[in-house]
Amino acid sequence: MSSLKLRAVRKSYGNVEVIKGVNLDIKDKEFVVFVGPSGCGKSTLLRMIAGLEPITGGDLEIGGQRMNDVDPSKRGIAMVFQSYALYPHMTVRENMGFALRFARVPKEQIAKQVNAAARILALDPLLDRYPKELSGGQRQRVAIGRAIVRQPEVFLFDEPLSNLDAELRVHMRIEIARLHKELQTTIIYVTHDQVEAMTLAQTIVVLRDGIIEQVGRPLDLYDDPANQFVAGFIGSPKMNFMATSVVASGKGSVTLELTHQGKTAITLPLTGPLPAIGDKVTLGVRPEHFELAGSGIADIALDIDVAEHLGATSYIYANTASGEQIIVEREESRHELEQSGLSVAIPATKAYLFDAAGQRLR
Amino acid sequence: MAQSALARSERINGWLFVMPALVLLGIFMVYPILWSLWMSFQVGRGMNFSFGGTANIMRLTQDPVFLRALSNTMLFLAMQVPIMLVLALFFANALNDSKLWGRGFFRTAIFLPCVTSLVAYSVIFKSIFAIDGIANQTLLVLHLIENPINWLSDPFWARVVVITAITWRWTGYNMIFYLAAMQNIDRSIYEAARIDGVPAWARFWFITVPLLKPVILFTSVISTIGTLQLFDEVNLLTQGGPSDATLTLSLYIYNLSFRFMPSFGYAATVSYVIVILVGILSLIQFIVAKDRRA
Repeated sequence: MSSLKLRAVRKSYGNVEVIKGVNLDIKDKEFVVFVGPSGCGKSTLLRMIAGLEPITGGDLEIGGQRMNDVDPSKRGIAMVFQSYALYPHMTVRENMGFALRFARVPKEQIAKQVNAAARILALDPLLDRYPKELSGGQRQRVAIGRAIVRQPEVFLFDEPLSNLDAELRVHMRIEIARLHKELQTTIIYVTHDQVEAMTLAQTIVVLRDGIIEQVGRPLDLYDDPANQFVAGFIGSPKMNFMATSVVASGKGSVTLELTHQGKTAITLPLTGPLPAIGDKVTLGVRPEHFELAGSGIADIALDIDVAEHLGATSYIYANTASGEQIIVEREESRHELEQSGLSVAIPATKAYLFDAAGQRLR
Repeated sequence: MAQSALARSERINGWLFVMPALVLLGIFMVYPILWSLWMSFQVGRGMNFSFGGTANIMRLTQDPVFLRALSNTMLFLAMQVPIMLVLALFFANALNDSKLWGRGFFRTAIFLPCVTSLVAYSVIFKSIFAIDGIANQTLLVLHLIENPINWLSDPFWARVVVITAITWRWTGYNMIFYLAAMQNIDRSIYEAARIDGVPAWARFWFITVPLLKPVILFTSVISTIGTLQLFDEVNLLTQGGPSDATLTLSLYIYNLSFRFMPSFGYAATVSYVIVILVGILSLIQFIVAKDRRA
């Protein structure tokens, strides 16, 4: 059993609180990704689970046992660091087997475990090399191998791919996903890269300023963000936000006026509590959800600034009349985009509404 | 053709720039070294020299005072350098802990001796180890000894005092090198080891020490050179006494040149003994510490 439970977990450095009461349940064998902008506390939270940072308040349970004051080595975890943290004076074999020497594992057993881990990660031909003789990706594999050898119940990854180049990052991402399938253990993975989070996670935990903003499956976060922060953070390019105000409200729908689009009125159905007339609300539309002019609930006119052609799709960076930047993703033929103006429609079903505090209006 | 003219002018300019330094080095380093080498083959007292061939080297082998000085120096080296470096390493390791209370104070306190005035600290050491000094008084109060120890007049204890004095003075100096090197080690290496269940002693012995190997080699070479040239402390504390028990090679060279009837030639020969010892010992240290995987 290697489920984790965090209850009202806090961390302060002096008067500065960096983790402000985190409640989280992680199931056995789950792949969980902590994601958020830098400084949001995701690495600190991981280091608290690892035992490298003392927990100021709340409870941490791993496998049903309270672990707040348990030594890092006795928590049943292994960690992979961003800097790899390999022992530079030891060969790959020694790096991977070093910890086992102190766990009183017999020599033959160490060799067996190291070889098994090396096979999983295709490190066999590198076992007698030193870290400085390896490439970045190979070093990262050794660091993962060193974690595997200890047969932990929970793997912790602290931004493991940040030091790799783009191509290698994609490759290692797939390796890690495959590894999770093979090892069937709980993995907690920290990254600031939402693409990594979306592709690897079974569950994403979005953090901001030491608080969990939303927990959910990747596509649930994409389809149904709880607030404007998550809506903007998940998805690439990010969701467009447009300032609007409420002109009519009632009978399960609101009518909005796009503040900077003249008198364009749009009506959206809502099931929850309705905002009052005159409230400032934010309308969110993902770049890929804009429709052809005339086919949605309202058209907006845009001035094209820059167009990026990626082949299959194009991203159009455009401005509204008042200067709000809007990104539109288009898959149609390219010459159509060489004009200076563009009219797109706001879709009826894929428009999101957020109140002044950034909370989702449903 | 133009290029060769340019090259020539660059060559001349280059030499002009380094010439002042070369001249000074020549006058104050190369010339004295060659002169002392020539001197080491001269015999005679005062300013009356004559070429003596290997006479000085033969004299070395039969000079009981030289042999005494040599064995004293080697004893100091063998005892003091390892004690000092091990101490420095432990202090550095302790003071590298970011959670240690008052570590700035301790770092300064341990480093301070090597920048204090040599004469001042010798006077204080002499008074501490006087018959009625604080060392004896403390030991008497603690009932560790029954009678005061005659520190500076007993051959064994005089050596202990000299070793203590140099260790006190230079431990902090070496510690700074270790501290600087330790702060260059990636902290996550230790964190990884902690998570992997590597005990604290093993983190020190299997991670810190191997990673400090180049610095340890460096400090052991400079400490060896320093101890082989040991002069100030013994001159100020014991003048080599009692009965040459703390006489070092450097002090003997000084005595031969300036205290006894001057024997510059022989003194130069003893100096070259130090040079050869430094060379051999440094070479041994390099071989011992050699990176086997290079």
